Amino acid sequence: MERVVTVVPEAGLHARPAAKFVETVQEYESDVSIARVDNEGDRVAAGSMIAVTSLGVRCGEDVRIIAEGEDAEAALDALEGVLTTPEDELDS
Amino acid sequence: MEHDIDTLMPEALISLDEPPAEKEACIEHLLDLAVDAGRVEDREAALSALLEREEQTTTGVGMGIGIPHAKTDAVMRPSVSFARSSAGVDFGAMDDEPATLLFMILVPEEGADEHLEILSSLSRTLVHDEVRGRLREAETEAEVQRALAEAMN
Repeated sequence: MERVVTVVPEAGLHARPAAKFVETVQEYESDVSIARVDNEGDRVAAGSMIAVTSLGVRCGEDVRIIAEGEDAEAALDALEGVLTTPEDELDS
Repeated sequence: MEHDIDTLMPEALISLDEPPAEKEACIEHLLDLAVDAGRVEDREAALSALLEREEQTTTGVGMGIGIPHAKTDAVMRPSVSFARSSAGVDFGAMDDEPATLLFMILVPEEGADEHLEILSSLSRTLVHDEVRGRLREAETEAEVQRALAEAMN
């Protein structure tokens, strides 16, 4: 199961949004990976902070998240929520 | 990465001495490498920007790596300082691993893209076991620099 999401937080997928994203991945059983839509060669494990940071995704860029597992849909819903929430509205 | 490693992280910004084991003191230790190299105009402003960033969320990215960083006009150009800890410093990483490889990124305020670029290329490099191994085993500042330069190319 996969979903394409445009990254909303102004600083990109970095700092608090990235930490929140990785934490959310870890709440689900599914295996989740993430890559920029225009650079599938750089697909990385979404549950690793350093891997997610290595993508350097900026605000406004599209990413494709792939989740495999029984709770894949719920995981994708939650992750889409993180990526589309402006940083100042994110609960810590 | 467009940045030349000799400019971004000259040997003066690399320390092989054991840093303090407590996070805040360790951050000051990394900052002082940049201060002593004449790269920081306002130490206090840089320190508060770094600590403010730490308050938002951890800069312990896992795999034993800590990357405290800030955008601040206390610096004129991007700088990366390096230290390594044999004891490990608790950077609050999600994988609970203490940080043994420590990088501090300081970028001028307007360098938002540059900041993300340095952070991402450093992370991309450090994902590799081999690079982390070389950094841990390096015996001179030049070896640290070389290990990173080769991995980033």
